[in-house]
Amino acid sequence: MSTQIKQTLVMTRVNFSTLPRRVAISLSMVLSIALVVAVLAGFLAMANGFEKALSSAGSPLVAVVLGGGTNQETGSDIPADAIRSIQSLNGDIGVARDGSGNLLASRELVAPVEVVGTQGLSSATLAFRGMDVSGLAIRDGIKIAAGRLFAPGTREIVVGARLATDFPGFGIGDTVRLGTVDWKVVGHFAANGSAFESEIWGDVDAVRAAFNRQGQVQSLRLRLIEPSSIAVLRASLATVTPTPLVAVSEADLYAAQSGRTANLIRLFGWPLALLMAIGATAGALNTMMSSVSDRTIEIATVRALGFGRLSACLATWFEAVALAVAGAILGVIASWLIFNGWQASTVGANEASMGFRLSVDRDVMLTAGLLGLAIGVIGGALPAIAATRLPLMVALRARG
Amino acid sequence: MTQEPFITLAGVRKGYRTGSDAIPIFTALDLAIPRGDFVAIMGPSGSGKSTLLNMLAGIDVPDAGSLKVGNYRLDQMGETARSSWRAHNMGIVFQFYNLLPMLNAAENVELPLLLKPLSAGERRSRVAKVLDLVGLSGREKQYPSMMSGGQQQRVGIARAIVSDPKLLLCDEPTGDLDRKSADEVLEILALLNRTLEKTIVMVTHDPQAARSAKRTLHLDKGLFVEEKRAA
Repeated sequence: MSTQIKQTLVMTRVNFSTLPRRVAISLSMVLSIALVVAVLAGFLAMANGFEKALSSAGSPLVAVVLGGGTNQETGSDIPADAIRSIQSLNGDIGVARDGSGNLLASRELVAPVEVVGTQGLSSATLAFRGMDVSGLAIRDGIKIAAGRLFAPGTREIVVGARLATDFPGFGIGDTVRLGTVDWKVVGHFAANGSAFESEIWGDVDAVRAAFNRQGQVQSLRLRLIEPSSIAVLRASLATVTPTPLVAVSEADLYAAQSGRTANLIRLFGWPLALLMAIGATAGALNTMMSSVSDRTIEIATVRALGFGRLSACLATWFEAVALAVAGAILGVIASWLIFNGWQASTVGANEASMGFRLSVDRDVMLTAGLLGLAIGVIGGALPAIAATRLPLMVALRARG
Repeated sequence: MTQEPFITLAGVRKGYRTGSDAIPIFTALDLAIPRGDFVAIMGPSGSGKSTLLNMLAGIDVPDAGSLKVGNYRLDQMGETARSSWRAHNMGIVFQFYNLLPMLNAAENVELPLLLKPLSAGERRSRVAKVLDLVGLSGREKQYPSMMSGGQQQRVGIARAIVSDPKLLLCDEPTGDLDRKSADEVLEILALLNRTLEKTIVMVTHDPQAARSAKRTLHLDKGLFVEEKRAA
């Protein structure tokens, strides 16, 4: 082992052995870094969870046809004759068909409804989606977790599993008033935690009648043969009706929505975390300066014996990094315990509440942890340099 | 033929600045110490004793003049070179021992050996030998907090000589000890000078300590004003 490594190991041992002499300030450094890491992890987990909820809702095998010059369901309107024209298309238009040769399609519209909730949710606006019964089969990863699907033409609804736990009156067999009429809950569906679990689904005609939106269809969902079939569908749509229609894959539709909101969350989260990180860096710098000052005699003594500057520098830096790592680990663990799986909601597409779970995954932990480490690396650099500049004369007159 | 001195200071000038004020310590200091000498340096506070010791240790350098120890011109060496020189050519004994409290006696003594390319076994062997020499055999595992001042200073001496340097610098080595412990420490220093031919320069306020040396130099206002040789 080189003498430089041995010197650094001795100095590092001196640093760590003297930690109890400055336990309070070292602990404050660890905790401040942990706080920064936890805050950043919280924001990233929020953005992450939101993205996951929306991205898992969208399938590349489902095409969403929209009209009215918009690329979102809100504001979209597809005329009835355009739907009839699409449904009467023969041949390969890129869409899967059932045993009778009919397109696997679902006419859909979304009505926002006000619902009184529990668990701190005083009331929320939820998305009440009217759809054809085929809407369930068209989508990926949806299953009826309890009860059954609504029957066509009835005022029956199925609700996302998440809603069933957050809102009273959504138990199977319950009757809930949505809009001006009562609806009977006949089932709960699970959608892998995706945004769909924040929706209420009912028969399209019943929803249109209840909300006085007869004849309206906001989107037409079609099951594609394969993801690339959307190009064939687009080409077919251009010839079928003079009404301008756009077909986007459901995956792209939700990815665009999630990207905007997730970026917004990150846009708030990063500056806040960085501002806090600057404060924590100043704290780390102060702590490590105190550490150097506390070890003045030891550093000067070994330097007087012939130890080089580098060992004092590296050992101080190692201490800063070690404290930062401790803070980062603490912050990551705390954020995981507090935030991971935490239920949150926001206003999503269709101006309705969308629930999602915060997700502290490996990327979030790594990103937030690296910020904590950076605080130690930067905050420890200046004190490390200061440690190399201690006047050796103090060793000769210092009381040990 | 006259033997060349081991330590030579010629026309050494040294001063410090405090703000805009320049405080001269030495204006033209000359000194010659032969190899194997044991010199006590005495003088009132502010006479320059510590400054001289710092320069001899390569911790500080003269502003002008030459300072030679053995074959090394310390006044011409950079800090890194002086640091390396310290590691291989001198040992230093501090007034307040300056032992690292988190290391035991053997580990404290071993510190200078970490700067040399020695195996762990060689280091252990050397540490055991010098601890035996200062009468601390069997106390290798004791921490400084478990030792008396005299014992700690003996560990300090062991640390200073473990790398077998030719020069031993002592800064008030008995300044923090009771008389009995001080005498034991002085006895060890005299032994090291006598049997191992270490050249020792000792700064002290204690006339009794000075009597252990072969000669005593009195420093006042940056000049050697008197020299006494042991009877």
